[in-house]
Amino acid sequence: MDTTAEIIALIGVGILLTALYLQSESFVDPLIRGIALQSLLLAGLLGWLAWTERSIDLAILAGLAVAVRALFIPYVLRRQIRAFRWRVREIHAAHRVTGHALAAVALAVVAWFIFQQTLATVFPQPGAALPFILLVEGLLMLATRSNTIVQVIGYLEEENAVVYAGALFAQQFPLFVEVVVFLDVLGVVLVGVILSIQRDVTGTPEEAALEELAG
Amino acid sequence: MTFDPATLALFVLLAAPSAAAVLSLVPFAGVSQAVSRVASILAVAAAVGLLSGLVTSRWGAYLGLDPVSEIFLFMVTGIYATSVWYSRRYLQGVHRPFLTPQVYYALLSAFAFAMIAVLVVTDLGLMWIGVEATTVASALLIVLERKPASVEAAWRYTLIASAGLTIALFALLILYTATGTLNGFRLAADPPPLSLPIEMAVALALVGYGTKVGLFPMHSWLPDAHSEAPSPVSAMFSGVLLPTALYAFLRVYRVLPSPAPALLTDLVLAFGIATALVAAFLLQRQRSFKRLFAYSSMEVMGLAVIGIAVGGIALYGALVLIVAHAFAKSAAFYCSGDVLRATGTTRIDEVRNLGRRMPWTSGVWILSSAAVTGAPPFGTFVGELLIVVGALAIGLVWVAGVVVVAILVAFLGVNSQIGSMIFGEPRSAAESGSKLPDDGWGIAGLNVAFALVLGVAAVPYLAAGLRAAASLLGGTHP
Repeated sequence: MDTTAEIIALIGVGILLTALYLQSESFVDPLIRGIALQSLLLAGLLGWLAWTERSIDLAILAGLAVAVRALFIPYVLRRQIRAFRWRVREIHAAHRVTGHALAAVALAVVAWFIFQQTLATVFPQPGAALPFILLVEGLLMLATRSNTIVQVIGYLEEENAVVYAGALFAQQFPLFVEVVVFLDVLGVVLVGVILSIQRDVTGTPEEAALEELAG
Repeated sequence: MTFDPATLALFVLLAAPSAAAVLSLVPFAGVSQAVSRVASILAVAAAVGLLSGLVTSRWGAYLGLDPVSEIFLFMVTGIYATSVWYSRRYLQGVHRPFLTPQVYYALLSAFAFAMIAVLVVTDLGLMWIGVEATTVASALLIVLERKPASVEAAWRYTLIASAGLTIALFALLILYTATGTLNGFRLAADPPPLSLPIEMAVALALVGYGTKVGLFPMHSWLPDAHSEAPSPVSAMFSGVLLPTALYAFLRVYRVLPSPAPALLTDLVLAFGIATALVAAFLLQRQRSFKRLFAYSSMEVMGLAVIGIAVGGIALYGALVLIVAHAFAKSAAFYCSGDVLRATGTTRIDEVRNLGRRMPWTSGVWILSSAAVTGAPPFGTFVGELLIVVGALAIGLVWVAGVVVVAILVAFLGVNSQIGSMIFGEPRSAAESGSKLPDDGWGIAGLNVAFALVLGVAAVPYLAAGLRAAASLLGGTHP
């Protein structure tokens, strides 16, 4: 295995571990740190690929991953927690965390199996199943968590999955950088605008029940 | 593409709403409304111009047109125009709006522009950006009235729709890797050999775009967003946003060689049947008349998806249903807005005796309610009938049976509840007494009349366009 393949595999394992960690955590602050770490790992992968392949596009994606998903959005989310202490933990989630973790592992295995059965022929690269697994894990988080901030983290994980997939096996995908920029803008709009409106309209502890979406 | 009337129309379609989105922000009273109205009329004229020319199919690297896109363009611009014209009346009744009229009209035009962009681009990646842009442009419109429930709805809409669209993007990554191109028109004209990755891409696109279409079980954003948005925006959501997302899926679906693999056809059929049935039964227990119509839209999208899966004459029926439903459902939402303004509530059990208090609005409302549920002789009835006939024609008797059940259940559920508000006996002096404002039914009346005409006559150009679109998609027509 050459150095690049080893680095891709190593970072891939790290990203997978962060994805499983995110499923098993109910406190919001560690979740924010977790998604920031996952984005940093992804940025590291993108940076390495940009260096070895002399790709400006990948370098831009690496920069975006650091600036938007590892720094800016986590910063805004942590400010939300400081302003609204009741958002520090999912109100109804604590008793389900073990179940989430087990479901996450089971889902990862199922996603890997589906990938091998359907897509492995066109994506023979080592670790190519990982973005697909990450996508499914992000969906699981979105579908099962009720806290607004945790749902944003699920969305960011999905976005990481798409960037990860693009970097691994679709670098020639037209407009890929633009698409990722667009997703980042959407993420910022999500976090910046809607959370601030929410603070304006419903942001009181008494409204906590409203905050917890049923999905 | 060479410069000709079709190119000019395409330019107007893209330039008019985008210019309106920018010019609406000019901080002078009345400018935003005026430019939006002019832009919407120009867009309708361009769409009708394209329809009358009936471009068979032409495309370049980025832009393209065919009868399918022309039909959808006509529908989107039509509802954009009526929503812009209806907005003035609606905005007058909003207290402490979250958006200024300038920003409201700017976002409404941006929303229309994003949908038009989806319909005129050939590149599936650009199409995806267009669909995602509809989310960005429309999310803030939902919170116009600054209600906690509106914020919740906007939040859920943005998050769930975006999550679904991320799956669609993943599907496009797979499709591109498997085929080397994302030009949807080219892929449809010369489908690549069938392979598991392509089938997987189509299945993921169904789930991804299906989220935005409101297919069960990814539909949970739909009733909230449709019911909490201001009525002109609800009309655009139900009437044209859902079909636009379905159009994006259709473009991916067309990548499959004909006939499509049975497994995928069955998957599409299963999503359609589940959506139609679940929506038809869920709407029975709705307490808000706007949510009632939202579930009705979901049911109609389910029926349209069934028509696409069945193919043949049912595909033609699905197109007729989508077009007629767009005009009928927008009329239903405009009337809902007037009733909400007049009574101050969206709760079905708090509104009675409306027929005497708002006779004209009530008349149009019951007609639009009948139209959206497929009552004869509206265009929706023709569409639904053809879907049933199409299913029977290829021996899918059980599918025809399920469609009939969904149609009947939805028909009874919607019309009995709207009927109870219009014809129900007053239970208090307030309900039996004073007349309510009843002068805003004109635009709704226009749209419901169009849905009626679609059912009883061959509308010039549109009828030919629907037949050409059905043929292009591999269906048949009467």
